[in-house]
Amino acid sequence: MSVIFEPLQLGALTVKNRVFRSSLGGRWDNYDGSGTDVRINWEVKFARGGIGAIISSNAPVHRRGRLVPGFALIDRDDRIPFFRELGKRVHEYDCKYIVQLNHAGRHRDIGDLEFPKGVSSTDRREPIHGFPCDRLSVAGIRELVDAFAQGARRAREAGLDGVEIAGGNGVLVTQFLSSAVNDRRDDYGGSLENRARFPLEIVKAIRGEVGSDFYVGFKISVEERMNEVFPWLRRGNSVDESVQICKWLEEAGVDALHITAGAAFPHPRNPPGAMPVKDFVKSYDTILSSGSHTLRNYIVFRTWPLSRLFQWQWERPTRRRGIEGINLPEARAVKAAVGIPVLCGGGFQTASVIERVIESGACDAVTIARSLLANPDLVHLFEQGHDRPPRPCTYCNKCLANFLENPLGCYDESRYDSREEMIDEILAVYRAGEPSPA
Amino acid sequence: MTESSVFQPLRFRNLEVKNRVFRSSISGRFDNYDGSGTEVRLRWDLKFARGGVGAIISSNTPVHPRGLIVPNYAHLDADDKIPFWRELGRRSREYGCAYIAQIAYSGRQRDIPGITYAKGLSSTDKSEPIHGLPCERATVAQIREIVKCFAQAARRAREAELDGIEIHGCNGYLITQFLSPAINDREDEYGGSLENRARLPLEIVRAIRQEVGDDFHVQFKLSGVDHHDALFPWWGKGTTIEDSIQVGRWLEEAGVDGFHISSGSAFPHPRNPAGGFPIADTIRAYDTMLSSGKNTFRNYLMFRTPPVNRIFKWAWERAGKRDGIEGINLGEARRFKAAVSVPVLCAGGFQTHSSIARAIDDGSVDGVSIGRPLIANPELVNMFAAGFDRAPRPCTYCNKCLINFIENPLGCYEESRFDSREEMVRQILSVYEPEPQHPVP
Repeated sequence: MSVIFEPLQLGALTVKNRVFRSSLGGRWDNYDGSGTDVRINWEVKFARGGIGAIISSNAPVHRRGRLVPGFALIDRDDRIPFFRELGKRVHEYDCKYIVQLNHAGRHRDIGDLEFPKGVSSTDRREPIHGFPCDRLSVAGIRELVDAFAQGARRAREAGLDGVEIAGGNGVLVTQFLSSAVNDRRDDYGGSLENRARFPLEIVKAIRGEVGSDFYVGFKISVEERMNEVFPWLRRGNSVDESVQICKWLEEAGVDALHITAGAAFPHPRNPPGAMPVKDFVKSYDTILSSGSHTLRNYIVFRTWPLSRLFQWQWERPTRRRGIEGINLPEARAVKAAVGIPVLCGGGFQTASVIERVIESGACDAVTIARSLLANPDLVHLFEQGHDRPPRPCTYCNKCLANFLENPLGCYDESRYDSREEMIDEILAVYRAGEPSPA
Repeated sequence: MTESSVFQPLRFRNLEVKNRVFRSSISGRFDNYDGSGTEVRLRWDLKFARGGVGAIISSNTPVHPRGLIVPNYAHLDADDKIPFWRELGRRSREYGCAYIAQIAYSGRQRDIPGITYAKGLSSTDKSEPIHGLPCERATVAQIREIVKCFAQAARRAREAELDGIEIHGCNGYLITQFLSPAINDREDEYGGSLENRARLPLEIVRAIRQEVGDDFHVQFKLSGVDHHDALFPWWGKGTTIEDSIQVGRWLEEAGVDGFHISSGSAFPHPRNPAGGFPIADTIRAYDTMLSSGKNTFRNYLMFRTPPVNRIFKWAWERAGKRDGIEGINLGEARRFKAAVSVPVLCAGGFQTHSSIARAIDDGSVDGVSIGRPLIANPELVNMFAAGFDRAPRPCTYCNKCLINFIENPLGCYEESRFDSREEMVRQILSVYEPEPQHPVP
């Protein structure tokens, strides 16, 4: 039997196979962060498709820390019933449910009525869009450490199977870890040890709250490479620095590491693939009021040949490294340094490739987002003997470009018989699917 | 106080409403993208039922997905939507408040078109002139299809046991696009003469009557005067009061039970909702629409750029102030009422008990509809009953609610009306408290 279908032990958690749904969700929920049936429909679709575990889309532990409105929050105890129902429905398919605890920091694509500014390790604006922020005080940091711990407690009380701390992709934890962002001179900035203090305190606080028998994972951008977005930005942490952080995280009690890339989201390496500028023009307008550089970016997206130049620059890393398994060298480096399992994201959708990377010891499981969006039943297709789905994900990233304004789904018309079929497929999430197997 | 004419029941042919204050069609983007309703919308509407209005006119309810104005408004386009509306009507009646569904079709005026239909349908194939929203000219077959959609939506409203429907026939949406000589450039039986331009709304009314019978309340919202030239005198006047009166007479003959008089050949329009043009809020929210039309980026840059934005604001506000804000449409409503025999409601800035009572007593109108002042004070009618002539913190007509709705939850965004910004945000988000849990049918 293929290694893909061997169970994986992650601390106290057993997952039935080696395919995880990476954090992926649309703006399905209410503005206030209360969950809806639409999100349940969305998650159940992947559980039904046969994956071993779902990592939820980013669930903010604090209202000020959301990336955009319309995502379910886990910031208060009255959110627990929604997550309990969600877990119950996903469990019907023998699929585990892991909540990704997040704080966006200054990386807020669409701000919040209550909090016009985000918070960060620094008071400098986010460099790509120019999102504003306030520098966190030490008291503010402590409060957020507790918010993460309370988020984990809520996940446990909701009967879910674990949490993953969002530490990569430019969110608040990255903003502390990254040498390209963190400019503090107190205990939380400067040396690598100081920059890692905030996430390590989060892990310890979570462990204090949920005990040692509840899954706690950590997602980290091993290569930050901010200079791949704009050449004038600083690169950020080196692989060696990230590996050291992973070792500390293991000591602090993390059960697994989830490898991603880029100290921003999106980033040329995550999700790796095309930069669909035309689709971005259509949805990027929504965030013009969010930052001081957005109008400049929008004009670049609209204006040939600037748009073409930007696209060429964006797609360079994937031209060099390939798409499927783009983060494998970094996963291998982490895997060699730690004793806990390593999950790896980045364009996976071919059974033989996934088998090879697991067997070669680069990682223990893969996490998939876009390719599951294109084929939610990917794991069933592998079971039926397909090495790749008949209509694979094309890595066009139109899903990514559309999510701000439109329901999340696969927007690559070439994958469908017609545009009507595509729209119908996208809107299917609003209809409850087949009845559950129970 | 309750002897005031505001508190006298209003009797339509098929419906009695307990007082003379109607909540006009207002709502935020509270629903799912596919047009299914949510508990948040229930709460939004019930807030006004609790506050004492006699009837709620729903926010615009598309009769077909192509006819939406922006996504995230509950539709009446399919039978599976009926249970949601039944629940909404039932809960509204618990407060003695009648519930009227406003059935609507946007035509080319689609602020955010959504993913399903790239272009709207209109009487013309010329883009909407303000934002440059694109459209196709509806064929006669498509017009017939739209007429059927209206009739089916009315049937669904009846099956949902709602108290009636309002046909949205103004503010620049599809029916305006047919009625207005400044927009309709057809050369077939739906364009040209007034009779031809009125053919679509008349066919809609007749088709609805055939579907729901004679004993279901059907009212019609009409712009008394288009004021199409309010900002740009060379744009042409659009529909005049004389034309509207003639259309009103025909509609009454076709079976309309009441009229609701508004204003303007576009939405928003300097005269509807009349008041401020909030530049800062517009810059923040209008960005969302840039991908909707070919003039939007030009407009956006204009809104951002002084002094052009100040000049635009001045022109906009000047065009809206000529007849005052509270009761801006009364003159037109009075002339209209004199020509028809069914009750006439009038929209436009009402929030003073004595002004409303006077408008009713002098025979200008039979009732008023209120939008923004009820957002500011959902309890306005209860306040009137308690003896207030005006709410202690009245609506300032700043129009910040209007512009925020595209991106943010609808509510009153006028900070000066609150003790603090925090208090304002708390009030806006109260529609989500306590946490909505119920799956809505």
